[in-house]
Amino acid sequence: MKVGFFVGCNTAFNRPDLEKAVRYAFPALGIELDNLDGQSCCPTWGTLPSIDLVGWCALAARNYALAEEKGLDMVTVCGSCYGSLAETRHKMLTHPEIKAQVNEILKDTSGKEFKGTSKIRHAVYYLYKEVGPEKIGEAVKHRLDGLTIAAQPGCHSLWPSEAYADPEEDTFHPRVLREMCTALGASAPYYSRLIDCCGMGGMRSTDMDKSFKLVRTKLLSMKEEINPDLIVTTCSSCLIQFDTAQEFLQKDRLLDFEIPVLHYMQLLALCLDADPQQVTGLAKTGVDRVVNRILGG
Amino acid sequence: MSNPAEPQVINLSEAETGFPQEIAELGGEELLKCIQCGKCAAACPMVLAGFPFFNKRLIQAILIGAREMLLDDSSIWACQSCNRCTEICPREVRPFEIMLAMRRVAVREFALPTLAIEGLKSLYDVGHGVYLKEAWQSRNRVGLPEKPPSTVAFPQALQEVQAIMRKTALADLGIIPMSEAGVTERCEV
Amino acid sequence: MPKVGVYICHCGENIAGAVNIGEAGEYAKSLPGVTVVRDYLFMCSDPGQELIRQDIKENLVDRVVVAACTPRTHEPIFRKTVEDGGLNKYLLEMANIRDQDSWAHWSDKEGATAKAKRLIASAVAKANLLEPLQDRFVEVTGAALVIGAGVTGMFAALDLANMGHKVYLVEKNPSVGGNMAKLDKTFPTNDCSACILTPVMVQIGTHPNIELLTYAEVESVEGSIGNFKVKVRKKQTYVDWDKCTGCGDCVDACPAKAPNEFNEGMDKRKAIYIQFPQAVPKKAVLDPDSCINCAKRTIGTPPRIHSVTGEPILAHCEKVCKTGACDRSVAYDPAGEVVELNVGTIITAAGYKAMDKTPFKEYSPQSPNVITALQLERILSATGPTEGDLKRPSDGEKPATVAFISCVGSRDENYHPYCSKVCCMYMLKEARLIKEKYPDTNVYIFFIDVRTPGKDFEEYYDYCRTLGIRIIRGRVGAVDELAGDRLRVRAYDVDMCAPVELEADLVVLATAIEPAPGLTELGRKLGINCGAEGFLKELHTKLYPVETAVKGIYIAGCAQGPKDIPESVAQARAASSAAAVPLTLGKVVVEPLISEVDREKCSGCGICVPLCPYSAISRTEFAGKPRAKIDEALCAGCGVCAAACPSAAITLHGFTSAQILAQIEALTAGTGGVVYV
Repeated sequence: MKVGFFVGCNTAFNRPDLEKAVRYAFPALGIELDNLDGQSCCPTWGTLPSIDLVGWCALAARNYALAEEKGLDMVTVCGSCYGSLAETRHKMLTHPEIKAQVNEILKDTSGKEFKGTSKIRHAVYYLYKEVGPEKIGEAVKHRLDGLTIAAQPGCHSLWPSEAYADPEEDTFHPRVLREMCTALGASAPYYSRLIDCCGMGGMRSTDMDKSFKLVRTKLLSMKEEINPDLIVTTCSSCLIQFDTAQEFLQKDRLLDFEIPVLHYMQLLALCLDADPQQVTGLAKTGVDRVVNRILGG
Repeated sequence: MSNPAEPQVINLSEAETGFPQEIAELGGEELLKCIQCGKCAAACPMVLAGFPFFNKRLIQAILIGAREMLLDDSSIWACQSCNRCTEICPREVRPFEIMLAMRRVAVREFALPTLAIEGLKSLYDVGHGVYLKEAWQSRNRVGLPEKPPSTVAFPQALQEVQAIMRKTALADLGIIPMSEAGVTERCEV
Repeated sequence: MPKVGVYICHCGENIAGAVNIGEAGEYAKSLPGVTVVRDYLFMCSDPGQELIRQDIKENLVDRVVVAACTPRTHEPIFRKTVEDGGLNKYLLEMANIRDQDSWAHWSDKEGATAKAKRLIASAVAKANLLEPLQDRFVEVTGAALVIGAGVTGMFAALDLANMGHKVYLVEKNPSVGGNMAKLDKTFPTNDCSACILTPVMVQIGTHPNIELLTYAEVESVEGSIGNFKVKVRKKQTYVDWDKCTGCGDCVDACPAKAPNEFNEGMDKRKAIYIQFPQAVPKKAVLDPDSCINCAKRTIGTPPRIHSVTGEPILAHCEKVCKTGACDRSVAYDPAGEVVELNVGTIITAAGYKAMDKTPFKEYSPQSPNVITALQLERILSATGPTEGDLKRPSDGEKPATVAFISCVGSRDENYHPYCSKVCCMYMLKEARLIKEKYPDTNVYIFFIDVRTPGKDFEEYYDYCRTLGIRIIRGRVGAVDELAGDRLRVRAYDVDMCAPVELEADLVVLATAIEPAPGLTELGRKLGINCGAEGFLKELHTKLYPVETAVKGIYIAGCAQGPKDIPESVAQARAASSAAAVPLTLGKVVVEPLISEVDREKCSGCGICVPLCPYSAISRTEFAGKPRAKIDEALCAGCGVCAAACPSAAITLHGFTSAQILAQIEALTAGTGGVVYV
């Protein structure tokens, strides 16, 4: 099995430990990663999508063309990349006139063409479907027995479901991330604000205090309802929000606890015996205790 | 502004009646299907965080032609693109697309936040909307090469991205400098 | 040479707003055979009709072209005008320059005028070739069929029966009663549904003119007004209804269970069951899918004999049946039995289905405490699973807080774009019933718009508010499951301009009224189309609301669209009076627009015989040779035979080949044979 790795900005520049985790875990599970040399920003919402519909699609289409030339699907660990790339593909395939305009631009600028033969897949959903929770459970060296995880699926792995290659069966009661955590031996119980937004993204850049209101509501719901040892997300933006917001909230006395946060790919890499410094070393929250527990257990 | 507790009279006689059409042309085609039921607002992160112009209210403001009012407010840039509204909208209005269309209107009036300008500039200069110059250090720390295999490592790829961007509406707007020269040095990480 | 009069109608602004009437009139004067051209504001009004009558009487015209609206509604009117003037009424031709021209090309006045000219020229060309025709009559079979025995079908059947007509009433369930039998109370008067419905059910069951065929479905319909042949499949009950007394002993004895449809799946019924306690007819039905064949008593096999006692080993149901109605040795045909009915007219009252909750994932339908309004109706009903006590399904606790959510699946492009019309009122009613019985309960209703247009409805709403029912304007966007089987309802309160959250014990979804399953299929059998929303289509929304495109077939109740009980009953009684007209007259006029065979030209090839959709053509001996023969009573004038006849031996009167070719020629004149309209 081989798949293209669409890294994305936040993963490459903010949390390269997450990038490292992907580059460790996929080969460890027997899946080769292609670098998709020359990939760019997906592009993310606040940039070209907010300026020009066709231009947005064109930049996304260029990334697709890199994967199509190699006959590969792409995987990403970032919700925004997943959303932006999936939505542009959906738009181009359902609106032939957009696709035609995009290909006109690509032809003039790079000689590339968007055909629609490659898909963007979310790394966790890809593993769920192509490898399966059972085999992943068998492959890991360290298990998470006794660990309680608060799952944070992230909006972009859910909606709009029509755009995604691997949509949840019930997008309002997502199961994939929870099952993938359970496969590692942890428990990942339901809590009532499971699908609520973390507040990262455009909101955090527009008004940090307002953005933190949302993450705080979620943290309180998690703490009160399931008291987790760890928050696990499928989205690099959620990862950054949960990992950085807690310190601010504590300073402002709006929070009196801290829950460590990891991306699922980081957790998986740990369970597959990766070097914890390399795959979780940039975390701001205190993941060490959980990491030690995992590696010790 | 626009705090519901401090009402201001909206003069409907001064409304811009062509506004809905403008939005439709910039990607918000389904606008007129909206019946203002409020389902989109029920779990919208913008509503929960307290931004004045979230999906439902944005659509109503467009429908009544309150263009200036929207241009004076930065809410639209706080939309998380979560698309929960698109998923549950019973009228297939696709509120998020309308949010994006409104941003496109605002951009054409140069009503966009500094961070958005910086994002665009970064996208043009290095091929990434989000970029940290000192990232090579942390990349090194976790055992990765200094540059990811993207436009930052492949100048030819960045040239392609820039050429595409020069074919978009961005080129006419003059929000960011978009010269063809100097690609290689800018690409230095 | 015929003298053709052309009468152009302005239809107020409807036609004149797009078509230049003066120009069209001038053009009409130039057409061959035209002697008179007149226009008028409303040609169908009395002064308008008088213009036509006067010209005929003064012998200025002997063929009439009316260029106006649709013949669907107005041809009968102008035929009468022509007849009153003293001409054969079939010497009329209409040009539809409204529906097919001015309305369609409203923004292209020039094009609309050009098209009007062509349509008028075409009608004139045909008018020149019109021949007088004589009406014919067919005898009407003195019986009616009513499909569906809910409140609508029962009232339609009773009215016809009370007028003295024989009525066959077909119902797919074992009992009559329909959805109304499931309701607790009914708005706006809060009558107990059973109190007002069960006496009607009894009348239905005992009326000498009504033959009840329950647990039966229409299989096929042939023929036309006055003489329909209907095949009805009586589904297999596996119980001899002639012997069954409805005592219920078999039901008590049966050990096998299945979800109870009558209680909307909230409890179990037995494999052998009586649909509900007040069922009419009160007879048991065996559901073979849930039957476990006790004592290995497969249907249609003889019982094993006990080795010691020598007695046959019987299933529980058989053992307790005192009349022998339950006898599993009988080799029942699983397909049931087909009976053939001959009727003059048909009323379709096939009802509706309330949507299920499962598609609405955002409302956590997996929670047992999220229910539909029809389920709540069963909970509130004394014959329901809780015998009328308000209990939440998860644990039987009395809910302290109940939340209603409106428009679930209605006004929704993903399901049904239409308004289901009754939900606002039934939510208010259910909320009121809860509040009156349990005043301490917190009741919230989440609305988009409160729609109460009906006699005494707004007053009902006002009263509900005085009971302390809280109305929140804003469609609910999420229902989250909480600990303790509770639910968090999330909405945006439009009036407070704020998001709201409510913790509730029971969430009630006002799910949409949708077409009954199989309605499209039933419509196909009857020859009636369904609209885009899936309900059967009436002939004309305002003027012919119970008639359909098929003469002699009428519709009523929710099969035509969502409506409440008062409207359903009103429509039932309208349909029964419309359906009674042919039955009472005993004969119906049939237009002479039917096919005729010229037996001199007919080669007897027989191509037309299997093509006829009405089985009206046979081959008979004529002068020693086989020739096609058309049964006038069966011919519906579709013209398939005339088009297919290789010898051009068949003429469809009113649409002869010469007439149609003349029309086409006039339509395409000067275009090289091609015209885009």
